Amino acid sequence: MPSPKGKRVSRRDFIKVAAGAAAAGPFFIFTPDAFASSKTLKIAKWAHFLPEFDDWFVNVVAAEWGKQNNTQVTVDLIPVEEVRERAFAEVAARKGHDIFIFPWPPAEYHEHVIDHTGVYKTVAFKYGTVQQLAHRSTFNSKTKKYFAFSDFWMPSPLHFFQDYWAEVGMPLGPVHYGSLLSGGRKIRDKLGIPCGLAFSPTLEGNVTLHTVFYSHRAYMLDAPGNVLFNKNAFAFKTLEYIQALCRDAGTPDQLTWGSGGSVQAMVGHKASSAINAISLLRTAEKQNQDVARRLWLQPPLLGVSGMGVTALPHVTNCSVVWNFTKNQVGASKFLADMVDGSRKGYEKSLGCNFPIYPKTVPDIIVRLNKDPLAYPPSKYTALKDALHWTPNLGVPGYATPAYMEIFTTSLVPKMVARVITGEQSAEEAAKSGAAEMQRIVDKWNQ
Amino acid sequence: MKSIRKYAYPFVSVLAVLGLLFLAVPQAMAQQDNDNNDADDNFNPPPCDFNNQFYADNGIDVTQLIGRFGDNGGRTRLTGPPARGNQHNFVVDNTCTTNDPTRNNIRILATTGGNADDGNSPFTCASTDPLSMPHSLNCASQSAVEPETFEFISLIAFLNSQGPFAQGPYLRNVGFINGGLQGVQQNHGTDISIGETLNVDGQTIVEAPGQTLRGFAMQDIVSNFEAYASIRQKTPHGFALNPCSLAMIQNMQDPTATTVPQPCFSVSDKTVNGLLISDVATPNLRQDWRFATNRNAMDGSDGNDPFGTPPSSKPFGYFCDDLLGMWIITYFWFTTPPNDPRCSSILGPIGAANGLTTDGTPIILTAFELNDRLEANNCGAEAQEAVDGSDGGAAFLICPALPDPRAGAITSDAFLDQVFNANGSPNNPILTVNFLSLQNFGKFPNELTSTQLSQLHSIASSHGVPF
Repeated sequence: MPSPKGKRVSRRDFIKVAAGAAAAGPFFIFTPDAFASSKTLKIAKWAHFLPEFDDWFVNVVAAEWGKQNNTQVTVDLIPVEEVRERAFAEVAARKGHDIFIFPWPPAEYHEHVIDHTGVYKTVAFKYGTVQQLAHRSTFNSKTKKYFAFSDFWMPSPLHFFQDYWAEVGMPLGPVHYGSLLSGGRKIRDKLGIPCGLAFSPTLEGNVTLHTVFYSHRAYMLDAPGNVLFNKNAFAFKTLEYIQALCRDAGTPDQLTWGSGGSVQAMVGHKASSAINAISLLRTAEKQNQDVARRLWLQPPLLGVSGMGVTALPHVTNCSVVWNFTKNQVGASKFLADMVDGSRKGYEKSLGCNFPIYPKTVPDIIVRLNKDPLAYPPSKYTALKDALHWTPNLGVPGYATPAYMEIFTTSLVPKMVARVITGEQSAEEAAKSGAAEMQRIVDKWNQ
Repeated sequence: MKSIRKYAYPFVSVLAVLGLLFLAVPQAMAQQDNDNNDADDNFNPPPCDFNNQFYADNGIDVTQLIGRFGDNGGRTRLTGPPARGNQHNFVVDNTCTTNDPTRNNIRILATTGGNADDGNSPFTCASTDPLSMPHSLNCASQSAVEPETFEFISLIAFLNSQGPFAQGPYLRNVGFINGGLQGVQQNHGTDISIGETLNVDGQTIVEAPGQTLRGFAMQDIVSNFEAYASIRQKTPHGFALNPCSLAMIQNMQDPTATTVPQPCFSVSDKTVNGLLISDVATPNLRQDWRFATNRNAMDGSDGNDPFGTPPSSKPFGYFCDDLLGMWIITYFWFTTPPNDPRCSSILGPIGAANGLTTDGTPIILTAFELNDRLEANNCGAEAQEAVDGSDGGAAFLICPALPDPRAGAITSDAFLDQVFNANGSPNNPILTVNFLSLQNFGKFPNELTSTQLSQLHSIASSHGVPF
């Protein structure tokens, strides 16, 4: 798409175009005052669930950085479902943007990016060393190189409708996976409302299913990166559990929801529970306060087999500087400077973007206790310990290229779909899923 | 956690020595305590129930608790399990409130023993070297009466659903002072309220039910601390391979199940001769409790560091955050009979190392044994009761562990609640020995002098548990 270079974009214009970009997939380009400058910085960024964050990122963060650094900055917003292919297209062409920002660890591109250790070191002077979630999401333990830089993440609490769960004697939510199934079944039987966990090949479907498998000790890969899936009873038992959850408490729509489908079902008060970023609740707060009041948060469900309370991050915001870009210095500086805006980013994302660097939002606990948009204001207190119950994608290992290919190719939702639709038994699907994982691991080990 | 017990004693000792040096009074040295087990050696208070306000402060509606010691004018669970015969489970003791104003005057005598499996155990070394099942060589040198694995708890009350967490709006005054500083000081205090009610479509909804004064939902805290209950699987009708709860079977054992296979073991409470018998009362268990406290060390000795490499962190600390000492109960069971060849290679080594339960199945001591051996090989399963109370048994416990069972915490009138074999012998005699050592000397066996150890041998023999 040709870029409207030289045209100043108003906030109103931006919102129009951003909404269009999110819906239809075209990208949006912003041109700041520094247009006359010879330096340019092109950024591709996944479209945030809350457009107001991208509005701020484009019109303030990028624009002001461009002015201060005498650089023309352009930002293209890319729908989440197109991120993977767009990034591979740039790698194949060895041209495109200088910075590519992913909602997950982009380990698959590690051969095509700079070592981001320098960015982390620069940031460390101001905000301290990188914490574990970011480290394990962006570090390649084989090359000893940081293949990306992470500045924020989003936890995945359980969202549940208190009114529905109170109808079946669980006003405080299901607590563990057993009650999710038994209570979810009762809600559907009594009220006709299915559970709203996404099982589709979308970001939310992948995060949800990887969380359910991890919570059931059904690891895809072990810590060194070998396939562990289906080498014990956990894999097929988890598949059986998910099958029962969909069959007895869910809806076939869970398999086909597009991006945001689970959110729409919840905000429409048409599902009883979901695992999602708090953008779900924020959307409800904006669209329907009555629904939002009934919608509650809970830390993740208690897992089985000693897994405890845990859920994978809905988003791990990871930026890369391609190694084929000419402006590596400027791009690296932009990433390091971006952290200065973490506090504002937390606010502009309505609290969705948890900072990787806690010093940037030191009063986050107070904010969670007294949220100005929530009713009651303490509703987000459930997220106080989110960092403690959120491991990285790839756990128990790092976010390796193989694991992330399993994630981004939606291998798990496809495997689950085969079971739920009856195409394969749980045992067969676990076996074929493990074989696919092995193929991916072998490919990356070559 | 590196044991509090392990570090508290040297820490206190160092403080004591420093204090003496600071005072520099020679006579004090001459009058030092010679470890004679007198009053000043008994500085740990025995366990007592909490008062109602403290329950409310922590988001619990006491009116919905089940089987709380001392309810109904002191009659509830005065006798009956855990007590045996004429034993009483508790006594009225007004020193409880003196020792700790958050307590009431019900002092708990029934001291339930169990095993911690959360890294605070000598058996933990099994999980660091999974291939050397069940115990690695690192464990070989440990004393047979190594205390670190044991926990002692007080089974004060049960929650068969999440109902007691749903405490409604709560208002209380804090900081009220009337007459401090010889009558001069006055303070009206501050009113703190938690939750409020609102009307939505004619429905009254309580906002933020069950929150503690610190802003956490108590249910969220408790869900981090699992107590593992092992209901007996030997029934009059044969060896039961599953609980009598379809929901629990479907959780992990067999999500495709549509009926409850028979025979099954009960997971609901019973009333016998007017006495409430919880499904997890000790006589119903095949082995003693296991606990995953995941707790943070008070002295920082656990190196708890969420930003470390590798990260070492748990969301809540048992003694720091779970102020009522509550647990969520995870039931675990074997999915094959004891001698079934399909799982004999899994069960055999564990049984050889740990001994056998009253059912003849292996005693499970560690998370590794349960998760990575039994469950990973489809030889065991686990589940929690539905939190709507539909299973009829205990879903949560109010069952605080003794922070330090030494130095007076276990009184002379306390008794050990543990699992007994059919012949009346304790299923875990080492637990008995440790309890007797704590009760008689205020110390674990490995802390005793040779004279005391000799005495302990005699005491233990008289209880039928020579070691």
